[in-house]
Amino acid sequence: MLFHTWPFVLFFLIAYPIYLALKGTRLRLPWLLTASYFFYACFNPLYLILIAYSTLLDYTVVAIMEKRGRRKILLLISVVNNLALLSLFKYGGFVTDNLNVLLSSLEIPYAVPAPGIFLPVGLSFYIFQSMSYTIDYYRGNIEREKSFIRYATFVSLFPRLLAGPIERARNLLPQLHKTPRVSKQDITDGLSLFVVGFFKKVALADYLALYVDKVYAAPEQFQSPALMLATFLFCWQIYFDFSGYTDMARGIARMMGLRLMLNFNNPYLATGLGDFWSRWHISLSSWFKDYVYIPLGGNRRGTFNTYKNMFLTMVISGLWHGAAWTFIIWGAVHALGRFLTRDLERTSFYRDKVPKLAKQLFVFGFVTFAWIFFRAESISDAWVIITRIFSSGLANPYCPLLALALTLTVWLYQFAYESRVKWVLELRPVRIGIVVLMVLYLAIFAPSSEQPFIYLQF
Amino acid sequence: MQKKDILDAGCSMPDARRSRKSRIENQESRIEEVPYGSNCVRLSAREWLIIGIVFSALLYFGPTLWERIEQFDAGPDYRLPYDLSSDYWLYSRYCRWACSRYETLVIGDSVVWGHFVSKDNTLSYHLNEIAGHNQFANMGVDGIHPVALAGLLKYYGRDIKGKNVLLHFNPLWMSSRKHDLQIDKEFHFNHPKLVPQFIPKIPCYKDSYSRRLSAVVERCVTFLSWTSHLKITYFEGMDLPTWTLEHPNENPLKAITLQLPASENGAQSERISWNEKGIAKQDLQWVELETSLQWNSFQRSVEMLKARGNSVFVLVGPFNEHMLKGKSIDTYRKMKSEIEAWLRQNNVPYYMPEALPGELYSDASHPLSEGYAMLAKALFENKSFRSGILRSE
Repeated sequence: MLFHTWPFVLFFLIAYPIYLALKGTRLRLPWLLTASYFFYACFNPLYLILIAYSTLLDYTVVAIMEKRGRRKILLLISVVNNLALLSLFKYGGFVTDNLNVLLSSLEIPYAVPAPGIFLPVGLSFYIFQSMSYTIDYYRGNIEREKSFIRYATFVSLFPRLLAGPIERARNLLPQLHKTPRVSKQDITDGLSLFVVGFFKKVALADYLALYVDKVYAAPEQFQSPALMLATFLFCWQIYFDFSGYTDMARGIARMMGLRLMLNFNNPYLATGLGDFWSRWHISLSSWFKDYVYIPLGGNRRGTFNTYKNMFLTMVISGLWHGAAWTFIIWGAVHALGRFLTRDLERTSFYRDKVPKLAKQLFVFGFVTFAWIFFRAESISDAWVIITRIFSSGLANPYCPLLALALTLTVWLYQFAYESRVKWVLELRPVRIGIVVLMVLYLAIFAPSSEQPFIYLQF
Repeated sequence: MQKKDILDAGCSMPDARRSRKSRIENQESRIEEVPYGSNCVRLSAREWLIIGIVFSALLYFGPTLWERIEQFDAGPDYRLPYDLSSDYWLYSRYCRWACSRYETLVIGDSVVWGHFVSKDNTLSYHLNEIAGHNQFANMGVDGIHPVALAGLLKYYGRDIKGKNVLLHFNPLWMSSRKHDLQIDKEFHFNHPKLVPQFIPKIPCYKDSYSRRLSAVVERCVTFLSWTSHLKITYFEGMDLPTWTLEHPNENPLKAITLQLPASENGAQSERISWNEKGIAKQDLQWVELETSLQWNSFQRSVEMLKARGNSVFVLVGPFNEHMLKGKSIDTYRKMKSEIEAWLRQNNVPYYMPEALPGELYSDASHPLSEGYAMLAKALFENKSFRSGILRSE
């Protein structure tokens, strides 16, 4: 039941009015929890066992911490349990595959059987959210949530259950405590966010995917222009796909009087790689900063340790995205980029002399290059793509001009949004015109998409 | 960014406790700090109202205006182009057009449409030839089995009211459990958007709930079937993104030529007899009439058309009995007599001709041109056809 499909529309048309009717009563949270669990069970009812286990575990651990003090062993129980779940479901296959390669290279005639477990959607997201609650409580940043139903709703809230944003308890739990005031503005804001997200996903991401999938499925059959364009378009596809999901999630929550955090802030306008990570998947980047980078020592123990911590954080972040070496290399490439540019970005020359556009294009180019590893089916495919970009011919890429035009229009819009001409975009006729065009395009030309979100696989 | 290592800071908890209260107190204000978004697309209620009005106008008037813009030259012996068989919006438009010009609508599957003949050799053509004027409209749709036909008439044939209807029933759709859509294994059948999406359950139809709901919504919202019309007619049945992938350097707007394809478009089947094609005789596993989904749907179509004030005449077959062997001949004849009994019991005038000569069939159910001519002649000689369909003469 994805946000851009009819079953979700039907679900929301039932769940939302009841939510509004119950919002001032004690039944609000039980209803929200029921709706969220139903939403999740639509993917597979067995998933409920996992989410209930993770929720119960962290709720109990924190309850014990409150009684017996914030003991590190309790925190470890929570973290180890959550990571064990994640490892089993997400990395089981990856580990056994690599073990078997190792055994085979050592000529040991044994193969570890593959676990054959599929990854439940949203697992990485709610596990991280639940873990952050335990860690924050351990650190003394938040109070314990006494109501189990409220805590379970916090973990499973359906708008953000599948792919975030990974909310912090300090932002979401207080909102679940008070009776929400769903104003007219909340509904119209929610609708605006939802329509933009829907357009990003259905009209843009799924469109670009057609070309990207074709080229990346057999990169050896394409030459430099096609490979470069496919990589450029993937760069936007993944942005439209994920930020589109997030916009829809935030829009739905907003209509319910809940405010989820901003997860994307025009990342392809970043002027440095650090800036990029403060604009891309903000909820995950800040999670890794708060719960991995800083506990590792952050930047406090000298340059070497800073870079080591940065490298580890980025590689773990890569591994979080998927159980494959391509994701690990993607993380490592970003870490390398940070090593090379961190000090440069601090120089007055870079800050003051290099034109902003040049910085933006440089960051965009680097990030686009790194996406090759993220998108390629294997390391060898990634290598084929990189070598062919620089060595193959210049055959016509047969890339749809409309796809390029739409993408460039959005990029220009974003440039305008962060420039002195932003006021033009704020004019009423412009805003209305944009929505009319989006709705018209969606209504007349867009496919009846059922493509899942890319980040659901993470 | 000199932050304290908090995971290792168990000993400094009193400090943390002191600051916790103030942190928690600040939570309310933090909620308000959540930024809205990273664009200017933020509309007020009044602005959404404007969008709502524009969109409603488009929903309501768009397809109607389009009918004025797009040329639809359905001359004599028109039939829906083969490639537009699943363009139900066009079918609906054709229905309105045909109802205003023809006395009798000939409705059915590819046997009526004329799969193996040109448009001037179909059943309706020969009927018009004998009648001496354009009385019969070819409303056949290629591949429309009775379950889908019931959906087509229900949702897109609402304008068929108070007309003479020659409704064809092709027994081929009951020649196996697969044809009758009764097998459990999923397979691709024609016109899935027209079949009941949820109730009654069709065992072999296992499309996702999302697609089924989408089909239900499309039937109810004319605008959506119109957008399907655009895709089918101008973008080779693809959605715009897929079309641009096939035609990367073309302007999609130029593809909208406002010219509908000709009737003959896409029909390229061999116009030779089944013997020449080398089709062997078969022992078909006919389904029981009582449990048949197809027959049940056909019954509903008859009742629906009658309820709309139409004068319905049913033509059954003629099936190519020369192709049958073994027990299937007897089973077929038994089934025919049961069909006849139902039609008689429900006062539905009908004609159930004997099989045409074997060489006049192209396969199990499709006559060749001479076969249609013979069938048309036989129909005109049928008493109940004359008293039912030709009563206005």
